[in-house]
Amino acid sequence: MSAERSTKILWSATALGGAGVAATFFVSGAPRFWANWVVWFLFLFTLALGALFLVALEHLVSARWSVPLRRIPERMASLLLPLCAVGACALGALPALYRGTRPAAAHDPLLAGKAFWLSVPFFSARVLFCLALGLVPLVVLVRGSLRQDVDRDPRFTVRARRFAPVCMAIFALLVTQAAFDWISGLDPGWYSDVIGVYLFAGSFLSGLAATVLAVIYLKGRGRLPAIRFDHTYNLGAFLFGFIVFWAYIAFAQYMLMWYANLPEEVVWYQAHIDGAWLPVALLLGLVHFFVPFFALVPRDAKGDLKRLRWVALVVLAAHWLDLYWLVFPELGRPPLFSWPELSFALFFVGATLLWMRNAMEKGEDMPVGDPFLKEGLEFRL
Amino acid sequence: MTESATESFAVLGLFPSADALMEAIPKVRASSLGRLEAYTPYPVHGVDQALGQRRSPLGGMVFIMGVLGAVAALLFQWWVSAVDYPLVTGGKAPSSWQAFVPIMFEVMVLFATFTAGLGMLLLLNRLPFFGHPVLGSKAIRGITRDRFALAVEAEGEFDPAAARAALEAAGALEIEILPAHPREPAFTAEYIQRSAAGIFVACVVSGLLMYSMVKLMPALPPMSHMLEQPRLDPQKPSAFFKDGHGMQLPVAGTVARGFLPSGLAAPEDGARLVNPLPMTSAVLARGRTEYQIRCTVCHGALGDGVSTLTAAYGAKPANLLAPAVRADPDGVIYGTIVLGKNAMPSYAADLPEDARWAVVHYVRALQRAQNAKDEDLK
Repeated sequence: MSAERSTKILWSATALGGAGVAATFFVSGAPRFWANWVVWFLFLFTLALGALFLVALEHLVSARWSVPLRRIPERMASLLLPLCAVGACALGALPALYRGTRPAAAHDPLLAGKAFWLSVPFFSARVLFCLALGLVPLVVLVRGSLRQDVDRDPRFTVRARRFAPVCMAIFALLVTQAAFDWISGLDPGWYSDVIGVYLFAGSFLSGLAATVLAVIYLKGRGRLPAIRFDHTYNLGAFLFGFIVFWAYIAFAQYMLMWYANLPEEVVWYQAHIDGAWLPVALLLGLVHFFVPFFALVPRDAKGDLKRLRWVALVVLAAHWLDLYWLVFPELGRPPLFSWPELSFALFFVGATLLWMRNAMEKGEDMPVGDPFLKEGLEFRL
Repeated sequence: MTESATESFAVLGLFPSADALMEAIPKVRASSLGRLEAYTPYPVHGVDQALGQRRSPLGGMVFIMGVLGAVAALLFQWWVSAVDYPLVTGGKAPSSWQAFVPIMFEVMVLFATFTAGLGMLLLLNRLPFFGHPVLGSKAIRGITRDRFALAVEAEGEFDPAAARAALEAAGALEIEILPAHPREPAFTAEYIQRSAAGIFVACVVSGLLMYSMVKLMPALPPMSHMLEQPRLDPQKPSAFFKDGHGMQLPVAGTVARGFLPSGLAAPEDGARLVNPLPMTSAVLARGRTEYQIRCTVCHGALGDGVSTLTAAYGAKPANLLAPAVRADPDGVIYGTIVLGKNAMPSYAADLPEDARWAVVHYVRALQRAQNAKDEDLK
């Protein structure tokens, strides 16, 4: 398929999806529109943060093997810029979807102590602050890396390594805020300390899966000829490890709440795994853990591009399903899935692919100015 | 086998880096002089493929054993907690899969790691095996530090000179020819005897040590945590309560299950009560048991008021077979058990409600047994 034709297809898919998105608001009502919006904002936000985590992790531990691949998660992290607008728009969901922010919630004795925390101004301030804070690592790590392509200044590498721990703290704050406000906030009486780690697992997993897909895409076009089995094997092994990590955290949260059986905690699981939502929860376990886990168990599978491609697609779909499962039970049961959800998927996937394509066309495919690029290219398992 | 094959085990070439080793392998392999083996200070990925070795079966073994471990743990826990000895813990159903998952995970890891470790050492590396020829070589110091060795090992027609030439051509820094070293079988009778003796001595020594620790050095009581846990024991003091007793009276107004107050003022008030138990053989058996424990000592085994107590103390307990007692309604006998009569104390604290009614049934059976009519024999 030629580049112009695929661009045309992407544009029409995005436009079609956009029309569906607009129609959702007027036909299906505000709560469903905002539920979809929040799911897609969180999907792309966690994906971009996961990519940023991969970049920061490389600088933090001075990893060499991932240097030739670093440009891809850097491009993905740059999604944080348009996501500021998407996230700010998501604040429109506050009274419609987030019952804790309605004035009536102030009279709920359960929420009396959280009234200020849940108030619309403070909620919005937190969201906007974190969206803006996300731009700091973007400027330091990504813009600096792009500049290094031109000036080949090794001082950037030193600066990035010094900044990496700060970036990790920012990352932790952003993921925790997203989990606490956008997910826990849906049911303000419920709380889970581990929900931030849960979202982090999904975040890094989706960033990694998207990186794998981009590597395969670029390799297929002959743009990353130096990337060998050793590099893709490492990506696959990382993916494999975090598939288990997500399952571990998800089950740990569920089991503790199941054991303690506290009313204010269990009520959330009742809404998410009882009745019509049970098949969705089971499907989530299947596609987020069992299928990708067993697909990546054999050694050769972790570096096999064909295998990695469909596993990464399954993981990304599972991450969307995860967020859908976290957010949509707030609209009640049975699970809503119809043309509005498909329109949102078309719109956001199309727009993201257009942005990523545009970003990938510019500049180098590898951080050519990085002093450790040669070592990274020579990396052997 | 040629003469030279019995003389030399292998020709060893040393290389300065893993990359040099990897480059040398295909060159030496092409001349097919013998079996190739690499000795490196750390695992070099891909060296097994370069040497043309078949894929290790260890991964498959670990996978199968891991799955088996998880399944075994699941079945074991299910059988123990839902089939063999069902216990309700924390209000959960006995067969709650959620509670089984952590143990399944642990046992899976245990099986998998043991398979990986023991399978690699015993099955694939054929240990125990003492004295590999390479361990006796001069090169072993380098191999365990910073040198990468490629060995052409004797196999069939072996020509050490050709192997030396091939290794030199491939860039080996040093060459060493290892003498032949017959591999001895590991599990000889002597080895097994010595191992068994060693295990026996270890058991005896550790047992004696443990015994002397426990008996001779009471300052070091072993494993006393079960004894010394912070708990309340019957008839023992406790610092937890203000009055210093471990045993406490029930809260005022506590009613034990089966011991609801009867509300009777006199046995005759019970006349309105109806025996709630059916007269079945199970109820009668219970009534007999309770009667024999509480009542026989005074009223006698037949209920005729003649018992060992009568002979010893001259007491005159009631004859339960007397017409007056036979004419009493069930509830009056029940009331007598609850409140006592004359010298008879109350048995309300000893017999729960259903036991009292079972005794009433049994007394009726005794009365009828001693006053049988002709129809009863039919």
